[in-house]
Amino acid sequence: MQPLISIQNVSKQYGEKTVLNNVNLDIYPGQILGYIGPNGAGKSTTVKILTGVIQDYTGTVLVNGKDIREDILGLKQMIGYVPELADLYDLLTPNEYLHFVGALYNIPDNVITERAKRILQSFGLVDNINQRMDSFSKGMRQKVLLTAGILHNPSIVILDEPMSGLDANAVIVVKELLQVLKQEGKTIFYCSHMMDVVEKVSDKIVLIDKGTIIANDTIEALREGSSNSLETIFAQMTSTGNMNETAGNILQAMQDK
Amino acid sequence: MNNFLLYLFLLPKALWRFMGADINQLRAILKVKLMLDDRKPLSMGRQQAQGKKPFRFMTALSVFLSALLGFMYIFPLFLEDKFMGLWIYFSVFLLMLSVMLIMDFSTVLFDTRDKTILLPRPINERTLLLSRLLHMFIYLFRIVFPMSLAGWITFTMQTSWVAALWFPFAILMMTVVALFLVILCYLLVLRFSKPGKFKDVINYFQIGFSVLFFACVYLMPRAVNNEGFQQLKHIDFQWAAFTPTYWLAASWSWFQPDKFWAATKWISILSIVGPLLLVWLTVKYLSPSFAARIGNIDVADNAEAKPTPESIKKSENSFYLKLANLLNKNPISKAGFSIAWLQTDRSRNFKMRVYPTFAYVPVYFFYITTQSDKPLAQIWANMPKTSIYVLLLYLTSFVVLQLLSMLVYSDQYKASWIYYSSPVVKPGLVMEGAFKGVWVKYFVPMFLLVSVFVLYVWGFARLLDIALAFVNITLFGLSVMRVAHRRLPFSAMEQMNEKGNRFLKTLFVMLLPMSLGFAHYAIVGAADSVPFLFWLKVLFLVLSSILLWMLWDSYKNTSWDQLKKVDLA
Repeated sequence: MQPLISIQNVSKQYGEKTVLNNVNLDIYPGQILGYIGPNGAGKSTTVKILTGVIQDYTGTVLVNGKDIREDILGLKQMIGYVPELADLYDLLTPNEYLHFVGALYNIPDNVITERAKRILQSFGLVDNINQRMDSFSKGMRQKVLLTAGILHNPSIVILDEPMSGLDANAVIVVKELLQVLKQEGKTIFYCSHMMDVVEKVSDKIVLIDKGTIIANDTIEALREGSSNSLETIFAQMTSTGNMNETAGNILQAMQDK
Repeated sequence: MNNFLLYLFLLPKALWRFMGADINQLRAILKVKLMLDDRKPLSMGRQQAQGKKPFRFMTALSVFLSALLGFMYIFPLFLEDKFMGLWIYFSVFLLMLSVMLIMDFSTVLFDTRDKTILLPRPINERTLLLSRLLHMFIYLFRIVFPMSLAGWITFTMQTSWVAALWFPFAILMMTVVALFLVILCYLLVLRFSKPGKFKDVINYFQIGFSVLFFACVYLMPRAVNNEGFQQLKHIDFQWAAFTPTYWLAASWSWFQPDKFWAATKWISILSIVGPLLLVWLTVKYLSPSFAARIGNIDVADNAEAKPTPESIKKSENSFYLKLANLLNKNPISKAGFSIAWLQTDRSRNFKMRVYPTFAYVPVYFFYITTQSDKPLAQIWANMPKTSIYVLLLYLTSFVVLQLLSMLVYSDQYKASWIYYSSPVVKPGLVMEGAFKGVWVKYFVPMFLLVSVFVLYVWGFARLLDIALAFVNITLFGLSVMRVAHRRLPFSAMEQMNEKGNRFLKTLFVMLLPMSLGFAHYAIVGAADSVPFLFWLKVLFLVLSSILLWMLWDSYKNTSWDQLKKVDLA
């Protein structure tokens, strides 16, 4: 099977600093890919390249076999993006914001109205549809961003910490949503620090550290027959020292006079 | 400056300790609060831009500005009737101070971070209360002291050294009155508007103040030179005896043995009794309900939004959507139009920066037309014979300049990521829509208003001039956007220091309306010697329109590459 997204030898530098170092990655249709790594590992940069926000990188990204640089708009139309800690125009109401975003994707007004209402209904936010978002909690904003990300029925969904701030029920809804989208054949690129969720929802897990991919496999293969959780595997692969020792050092520093 | 103030207010250490405060904690809290004050934008005039480097000497600057402000209203002190002079001086001072405090106090009073940062720490109540009081005092001191300096010195020099001692007393009493007024005003606002709307109301106060300030600077000197003003006598204002500033002025009679002042001696007692009474009223009646209502603001700010039935019913066929559909063919332009319309509707920063400029048009016009010493009635009668309407029409480009630069800047510039991740073919389409949005919303109504005035005073023959000015100013606005602000709406962070070349560019585009305006003015002025004036104007109009059309086309077709070049510049 041909991969839907194929990242080939991609590197990206900010001045002297190398953020992505020769990254190679294939993602297949209908797959949920968990993309994890410590802070500053290069996760967000990968996402920005995939969404067409960053275009000055070296290497090639193919989507459906086509270089995304050749048809960046076509790529953007295919992708639904929910960024981490995203800013939104919170002086608008969800209704106004979603109409604004929908128009950028060329969706007819009546379709936006209908979809926005139904998605927000599922998130339990429909009663707030005409209220300014500046009084919204973090979770409520996140629900609006999720809605904005899937409003145009994208075939690839890129989620960067989508659960942040969500209440327990909404987390369940999003997890179920991921499965439903997968069954529909959508490809999902899922970035997160919440290892337990990544472990449960992902078909494949990619671990990136200091700009380099250090693991790319199913959770079972990563465990190598052990019963270790993803959290433990992650710590073993990315941490420089012993975690217990680190905690001990902190305790010592607190008590020393 | 802060260290000095801190040192000064912590001098009576023994006293604070006696009152139950922990000096180290007190110093730490005050130090941070003063530091925060230093970094928050100035209340008067322009707000500080969100530059990368915080300006370190905000306090020093605000003290300096307050001292300058103090000069603005000292001239009543030069009136022949000293009593009248003092009364006007105190009244203007009181008004200024109250309005400033109304604007500024909101940030001091509603610092809700106290609740989460200070309350969980082991700080006793006395320390907390004292830190608040001292902060408030330092805060007032920093404003009132420099503001009164000019008047203090002037009055002492005019009278005797006793005045140097009396003046601070009067100012202190006046500050008490101001505090009372401020709290009363807050209570009234909170009584009649929802807590959530409170900040909007304060925003309008700020806008009002900057208009007042601007009008004063331009129009006060002329008013003072007016002979009628010089001959004001306090005897003619019987009702003034009911104002607290009158009582304050009367208290100077204690040091003036002559007959003129003797008459006001009895009322001067009120200068002490009055403020004391107000303090009592504040503590007894206003403070409790004030504290309760301020608490409500917190709650309203933090609580999750609750849906209200009206807001759900609100129809989607709003006025702006109808306009957006009418004026934009492309859905992406429509999105630009909508975002510009809605964002400018609700952003306090936008209103604060743009709304006062609307007042510039009438104030400048009044200022320029009244430069001569002729009485107003005569100037008004002569007006239709002049061609000053050309100037009036072009004055509106001041608003245009501010309006358009605020279209690209925003505190929420980061929210513009959405343009980059969505399939927008040409950013020019969004920009075109946004330009139309603010143009239709702000410029067109203002220009219509000015036009009606011009037609009323100068007659319908000026219709062609109005059309020409409209096209020229639009041309100007679009060149500003094309040259200096070729960006997506609300996508740029406001920088304190604009880069040099952008400044030059802006200067360059500023020449355009001036030259167009002057050309227009020259044609009108040379009416007698130019035989085909009408056709010349028509030609001018046609040429400007063609230029506008070409520029519009280029702006509308701004590509991502062209946008980036500007970003990197």
